[in-house]
Amino acid sequence: MGQAKLLFVDDEDELISALVERLELRGIDATGVTSGDEALERLREEHFDVVVIDVKMPGIGGLEVLRTISRRYPDVKVILMTGHGSTEDSEIGRRLGAVAYLQKPVDLEDLLATVRQASSSMETQESNAG
Amino acid sequence: MRDDPLRGSDREGVLFFGAMGAGLSHELSNIFNIINELAGLQQDIVAAAAQSGTAGLARVTDLAARIKAQVDRGEAINRSLHRLSHCIDDTEVDFDLGDALALFGTLAARAARLAEVDIDIRPPETSLAHRGSSFDLLLALHACMRVALAAATSVRRIDVWAEEGPSGVRVIVGSGDPVAGTDGDPSNAAVLMSGSAALGAAPRIETTPEGECHIVLDLGSRRTVAAEQADERKAEV
Repeated sequence: MGQAKLLFVDDEDELISALVERLELRGIDATGVTSGDEALERLREEHFDVVVIDVKMPGIGGLEVLRTISRRYPDVKVILMTGHGSTEDSEIGRRLGAVAYLQKPVDLEDLLATVRQASSSMETQESNAG
Repeated sequence: MRDDPLRGSDREGVLFFGAMGAGLSHELSNIFNIINELAGLQQDIVAAAAQSGTAGLARVTDLAARIKAQVDRGEAINRSLHRLSHCIDDTEVDFDLGDALALFGTLAARAARLAEVDIDIRPPETSLAHRGSSFDLLLALHACMRVALAAATSVRRIDVWAEEGPSGVRVIVGSGDPVAGTDGDPSNAAVLMSGSAALGAAPRIETTPEGECHIVLDLGSRRTVAAEQADERKAEV
């Protein structure tokens, strides 16, 4: 598998655009959207390897988006991000299949390491299946 | 189970202050996260420019403006938090209803955004002074807002304004969606009554001929100190 294709979901438009710009400068294929609805719409249109979602958003919240992704796209890895995380949210996230739960502000290198980890677990799964 | 040391309107006030503090702190965290990311992007751009030998000045200037915009946003939120914290001390003062409503707009913005409801705070056309506790008014408005937000499922719009009538000043939280009357929904009654207990003005729900729901807070005609002083001066003359 080549480099992972990332989808970022956060209702703070400026956060998403800065993050996506930084990843693009590193040659990483990243897309940003600002709502859970938009994220699910993008996933219907194209494949993403890893989706990074903010837990607290207007409309469909991060945990609900995760639940839908796990059901519809079981091969997509999900990382949850939160500003004020609760242990309960983190537990629910893991039960729903999130591979990691990160506290904001997230250091970009830490985020990329988590994404790499998620991608490599995906590769292992693929090679085991093959 | 231990006894709750806070009861009645004190408890409502603390819960309201806690909810507002948590919401504003969350908004400030969002701003710090954005500034953190923009500063990181600025470093990336400067590093890339140094490597390629190009200046990249336009992008760095643009980023400085974006950081400044976030700092201004944070400043406004911090000012609101500061005003909210201080108005608890003022139990019986003259205050401007337009200012109080504007503060309420900032405090309510996050809850409205998360509920995907548009909120429009309409300041009075002329200055509308009132005597009392602006904190108690904010607390009562918060209760009205909670009831209106819970009912906002279709039109998803809430307007808040103050007006002066024959029986004094009233503040109205208007919803395009039907809000069940306090007699029809006991949970609405509980929220409205406990939230407005300190203010001493029981909110009532009216439906306009156009089908809009108004949660009305009658503040009555509390003479401000400024008005009383003006009357005294007139009497002396």
